[in-house]
Amino acid sequence: MDEAVRAGPPADALVRARALFAQFFRREAPTRYLGSVTGLAWALVHPIALLAVYHFVFTTVFRATGFAGSSFLAFVAVALWPWLAAQEAIQRAAVSIPGYGGLIRKVAFPHEVVVYASVAATLALHFAGYVVVLVVLRAIGEPIHLAGLLLAIPLWAVMALAVAGLSLALSALQVFVRDVEHVLMPVLMMLMYLTPILYPLSLVPETMRGVVSANPFTWLVDRLRAALLEGRLGLEAGDLVAVAVALALFAAGRWIFVRLSPHFEDFV
Amino acid sequence: MNGERTATGAGGDSSSGPPLLELAGVGKDYAKIESRGGRVALVWDLLRGRGASSAFTAVDGVSFAMRAGESLGVIGENGAGKSTLLKVVAGVIRPTRGTVSVRGRVGALLELGSGFHPEYTGSQNIDLAAALLGVTPAELAQRRESIVRFADLGPHLDDPIKHYSSGMVVRLGFAVATALAPDVLITDEVLAVGDESFQKKCMAWMENYLAGGGTLLLCSHSMYHVQKLCRHALWLRAGRVERYGPAIEVTQAYLAWHEEKSGAGKARRPEVHTGEGPDVHRVRSLALDPGEFVRIGAPLTVRGEAYSPDARAPVVLIGLVRADGTPVYGVATDMDGVAPRRIAHDRYAFSLEFPSLSLLPGKYVVRAHALDPEGVYLFDHVELPLTVTGESRELGLVRLAHRWDGEPPAESPSPAATRPDTTG
Repeated sequence: MDEAVRAGPPADALVRARALFAQFFRREAPTRYLGSVTGLAWALVHPIALLAVYHFVFTTVFRATGFAGSSFLAFVAVALWPWLAAQEAIQRAAVSIPGYGGLIRKVAFPHEVVVYASVAATLALHFAGYVVVLVVLRAIGEPIHLAGLLLAIPLWAVMALAVAGLSLALSALQVFVRDVEHVLMPVLMMLMYLTPILYPLSLVPETMRGVVSANPFTWLVDRLRAALLEGRLGLEAGDLVAVAVALALFAAGRWIFVRLSPHFEDFV
Repeated sequence: MNGERTATGAGGDSSSGPPLLELAGVGKDYAKIESRGGRVALVWDLLRGRGASSAFTAVDGVSFAMRAGESLGVIGENGAGKSTLLKVVAGVIRPTRGTVSVRGRVGALLELGSGFHPEYTGSQNIDLAAALLGVTPAELAQRRESIVRFADLGPHLDDPIKHYSSGMVVRLGFAVATALAPDVLITDEVLAVGDESFQKKCMAWMENYLAGGGTLLLCSHSMYHVQKLCRHALWLRAGRVERYGPAIEVTQAYLAWHEEKSGAGKARRPEVHTGEGPDVHRVRSLALDPGEFVRIGAPLTVRGEAYSPDARAPVVLIGLVRADGTPVYGVATDMDGVAPRRIAHDRYAFSLEFPSLSLLPGKYVVRAHALDPEGVYLFDHVELPLTVTGESRELGLVRLAHRWDGEPPAESPSPAATRPDTTG
């Protein structure tokens, strides 16, 4: 397949993609949150309500203990927010392309910008919620090391890279096979319980621990807890592996997207 | 944006340098999905870098080049692949085969208002459209004024465009696309929308754009617009180039083909009806001089031989009909008091000259009939196709002698500007 040759300095394409990203980001964020009456509050209400329910179930009903010397609230909040952010970002981005069908059919523009804008809008919003919740928890006396937020930013960035890769692949597949959206929900739900978000890795039986640790999200949860609950800000060897995994996910997702996106026009 | 556009005068082929736009062997296939699992199979094929296993070819083997200042009209029936071709040029679709090279900014008006978001205000949509067109904020700031002026929305500029009338959306779309000075402007039948005053504004803008050296790729069903705005035309038929050349020539060929097609049901193909048995008068041969193609105003001679079973001179009737069967003119030897020339005891030669053929360009059929000497029985006829060529935008079948009482146009850029649009 021959590429269409489009002349002009490459910087042009980048400038244009940036302008488009800004436009699409604005389009994604307000239509979802500011457009509704409840507005921005939704970004906090859903995770806080979930946190409250988990707190009730695990500490009151199950009387679970062993949260690495931390309180359940702080222990779960630190990991739950990034997970919900990633989950929502993937779910929204996966169905983001059809919303731009009118543009895709009539206007030439880099389609991947749609996915980046969708992922960025969701993650940015939930990161803001994350900061608010951590500050509030600290204020009510939970053992949170706010300095850990310095490390949380690059950790979220690595997550964003992986989430973008997954979203690129899923959104491209969704254009052709509409079932992707429906399979995604239960799969993400199951993955959440297989990730040490509501429990520490130490409670997982030895035989299963290897499998659970292989989950890249386990690394993220682990590093976030180290930074925010214990105040450990140093880098580890495993971080390099995680960055490599995120890059690989992004590259693979983008490869799939680039292969499929020239055919969106006929299917959106 | 850049002031180095060289204006080429009408008819001047002096433009040099590489073409602004060049298509070489461009083809586009669309995947055909035949079953539920077909989509999964298609994704698998695409991921492996193969084309779809089952495809429909929308456009194939299209090549052309456009230099700065040229204008090309794409014509053809619905479903001929015009829109697909324009989308390929605009970069909306990547071609399955061949290459498209564009040097410069392409402005595409494939559907006015298609890049707009209904919840945004007119003003916000200008920002969005500019970003889509690849315009930098600094450049947009410079041109915002003229966009707002052309769109002429007044206080509605700050209302969400979902409250706009379609005419207002169209005005805004045209204003944005045109104000951003594309090197090549691609439009798909957009002149057909909007009210009359807006259409006039569009036409005036287009003429001005072309006069200023702009390059236009237009897709239209209106031969009037194509002839008025474009120097060249490309006729697409079933995805392939049927004809490519000067706009007048191609549009006339297209119209002639249409006439022929609409008349096809009446069996208007050139053919020979031989009479029953050897004992009737009939036309043995028929020829056109200079041939099938004659320029308007040039001489045409119809000659041939007729057979007579009883050695008496037959009456020969020559008729001209348009390709769809509409009779244009017919004349017989006996009407003018002549008889065919005898060349053998049963063969007669006839020759009819039109010193200056006043048929308008298009496709016609020449028919010769041999009648008995009394001119009563019409036994058979022989047909030959005739194509009248030439550049003319006159309407109808024949050029009638005429004279206007008027004065030469006062430096109007296009003498056709005041002609009423009766075509299309």
